[in-house]
Amino acid sequence: MIEEKIPNPNGELIETEISMGTVHPAALEPYRVRFFVEDEIIQEAEITIGVNHRGVERIMEGLPVEKANALTEKICGICSNSHTWNSVLTAEKGLNIDIPNRANYIRVIMGELERLHSHLLYLAHGSEVLGHETFSMRIFYIRETVMDLLDMIGGNRVQYGVSIIGGVRPRCELNEMRILKIETGLDQLESDITKFAERFKADPIVNSRIDGVGYLPPKQARKLAVTGPSLRACGFDYDIRTEMPQYDDFDFEVISLDTCDVKANLLMRVLESFESIKIIRQAIKNLPKGPIADRTWEMIDCDIIQSYIEVPRGICYHSYALENGRIRGSVIRTPSMSNIAAMQYAAIGNHITDGQLCIVQCDPCFTCTDRAFEIIEL
Amino acid sequence: MADITILYSIIGAIVTLFVCFIIGTFLPGVEKKYVHARIQQRIGPPVSSVGIMAPIKFAFKDNLEPHSPAPGLYKALPILSFLCVLLVLLFITPQMYSVALLSSVIAIIGLLKVEEIAYVLMGSLSKSIMSLSMRFPDLVKGAVHSDVVRSHIEDISSKRSLRMISYGSFPLYLSLFVPVVCSGSLYIGGIIKYQQIHGPFIFTTQGILAAFIFFIGYVILLNESPFNIIEAESDVIQGPYMEYISKYRSVIYLTKGLLMFTLAALFTIFFLGIPLNLFSWNILVYIIVALLFTLFMGILSAFTPVFTNRQFLPVVIVSTLIGVLAIVIGILI
Amino acid sequence: MSLKSYSRQRAIHVMLVYTGGCNGCDIEIVNAVLSPKIDIEQYKVFLTWNPREADILVVTGPVTYHNKEPLLKIYNDIPDPKLVIAAGSCALMGGVYKNIHGDIPSEEIEGPVDNIIPVDAKVPGCAVRPQDILAGLVSVLPKLLNAD
Repeated sequence: MIEEKIPNPNGELIETEISMGTVHPAALEPYRVRFFVEDEIIQEAEITIGVNHRGVERIMEGLPVEKANALTEKICGICSNSHTWNSVLTAEKGLNIDIPNRANYIRVIMGELERLHSHLLYLAHGSEVLGHETFSMRIFYIRETVMDLLDMIGGNRVQYGVSIIGGVRPRCELNEMRILKIETGLDQLESDITKFAERFKADPIVNSRIDGVGYLPPKQARKLAVTGPSLRACGFDYDIRTEMPQYDDFDFEVISLDTCDVKANLLMRVLESFESIKIIRQAIKNLPKGPIADRTWEMIDCDIIQSYIEVPRGICYHSYALENGRIRGSVIRTPSMSNIAAMQYAAIGNHITDGQLCIVQCDPCFTCTDRAFEIIEL
Repeated sequence: MADITILYSIIGAIVTLFVCFIIGTFLPGVEKKYVHARIQQRIGPPVSSVGIMAPIKFAFKDNLEPHSPAPGLYKALPILSFLCVLLVLLFITPQMYSVALLSSVIAIIGLLKVEEIAYVLMGSLSKSIMSLSMRFPDLVKGAVHSDVVRSHIEDISSKRSLRMISYGSFPLYLSLFVPVVCSGSLYIGGIIKYQQIHGPFIFTTQGILAAFIFFIGYVILLNESPFNIIEAESDVIQGPYMEYISKYRSVIYLTKGLLMFTLAALFTIFFLGIPLNLFSWNILVYIIVALLFTLFMGILSAFTPVFTNRQFLPVVIVSTLIGVLAIVIGILI
Repeated sequence: MSLKSYSRQRAIHVMLVYTGGCNGCDIEIVNAVLSPKIDIEQYKVFLTWNPREADILVVTGPVTYHNKEPLLKIYNDIPDPKLVIAAGSCALMGGVYKNIHGDIPSEEIEGPVDNIIPVDAKVPGCAVRPQDILAGLVSVLPKLLNAD
């Protein structure tokens, strides 16, 4: 594999430009990608986002903080819980609220279930872009188990709205029956994912298709500030869940692989799913007793508060100041923002059919990322 | 007397074509419902939906002008490829054996080539809105390379079809030449006669090898996964067919079913030595072979991802070598 | 039933256009088609990505500024008879992005979908459930079958 893939600087070798999007089956989300190709081999790729710009940060300005927390959920339909969770954590940090331990456990359970659903969606979408419909269907079927659990706890399949300032919503209380259901669901999931992973790893044709494709050198990954599983697939065992106080009670491993290609990324998601299952098992085993929300907090003004958490796709950052219970100067930084450069880089040197695969390998979520953008026409 | 024989031949050929056409329309549905859906553990669409009802539905839709530099030529191409496939089927009916020149391997390969060339033209004439024409301000300040030639996604598809013509269809044609070499006759009548005396080719060593590469060629010619690079959904969406509307789209759908049957019929003639005779039990053999090919192709395509050049070239090279080996064995024995 | 209506009933091609919003509806709809649990193909509904093939256009999201023209282009490219289903609360009324704001309203939202193209059925939900999408499809079927 080439250690240094340099984007073509002079445009001499570029035969033509292929632009895909903004509506494209392999992308699902609207964005424009321009592949500069020479004999079907990508020499350079450029991703332009901004199609999805809805101005969430701007409309958050001056909203009451509870309402804004509900709004952050609508930033993304895949990692909706992560955004609410982080936004609520930001407020709690500023208002000095200590949430009950039980509430924290339920949030962690939701966060990990969401990680499972996001990783399975990634695998399904990856298989679809590979052109392997059967694998894609199989994973979508496995994913339904997670969706049922999310539906049971949060009351909706996509936007669950679990976290509120001071704890979690009353409807998300975990009783005996729900815990039992989660347990059986996890057992089912573990055996299904294990079976699938064995099948996937043993398939020579699929392996020949993904081996060495979308190679992202570790040095470059570090330089481009890649986050999340995409970084861990490049050999760095960096996961801020190890530093988050919310995860103090849980024992899990940070997985890292060092082949840096699409295969490593896909395997990464499978291995991380097992860690998530492990965390949820610990959480429901040691679920503390007590209330699930602390409603005794008082609103005070505070300066810019910042909070980082590890969401399924990497590090998510929320920050805002509070003034009379209203939000000022909200800034949200999603993991895909820093992964875009990696997607462009990974696509270089691959066949154009693999181009979308290289973009998908970094788990893009441009809906999250498109919030503030300005495009100047020539 | 001679006039009546010719009339009967013509009627026989037309009826055969019609029956084959009807059988062909069911094959895509069989593949989708009984193979893909069963492997994917779901119920799947009804058998008639994909092959028959969809074309009829498209035929009833209103027509729009396709985005194409030459709409007339573009619209004529699917009809051309449909006619090619129909002619191949016509030439292999026993009524046509007397017109020796047409019922030969050369004519069949020529017609199949025309069908392949149609893809190249289709791809280069289709300018769908799904890529370049979709308005988006991407040539902005800071964008890389604002002065490059910009192409539609179908142009890639067209280039890929060109490659398919040059080496992709080798396996099928090589495997057709194995019976020719063995029997020493270019004509279908001669090949069938030889097999009726010496037994079907499929039971010989070179026959088995050739049948195997015939199957690979069959999948490549039908653009079915894993060899569907010219219409891979992950980059070119539907490739050459992007802009076909209403009647022309239904012709595309019908061509696929008919081609599935025609290629299976070619196999039956070249490797089993059974003439396509509608008024005997032979037609059952044809239906069984067509269903078997559909079944095997369905299983292959359900378990494989799209092949890029990295996987496609080795497959083609290996099957070409097997084909050459089969021909060599055929010459030596 | 005439052959025209019968054939339309047996093969319905649906195209999904995603015009902003949060991805939730989008994944739920693709999920409905692809997941063996719901398997929309057993109801003779096929997902396509080519406007020339589509009968029904499912639009999700509150059409953002940059998505208005692609949506119109795709709509114009679908041959008649065509129907439009707006799925999800964003497509119905602009969703949270249009209706909730603090000091400054969002100027990016061109939606809801009615403002841009005629809508035949509205499927509510945030996010829509796959079953609701099916119900929405069934509710527009008479219109499709009886069209010229």
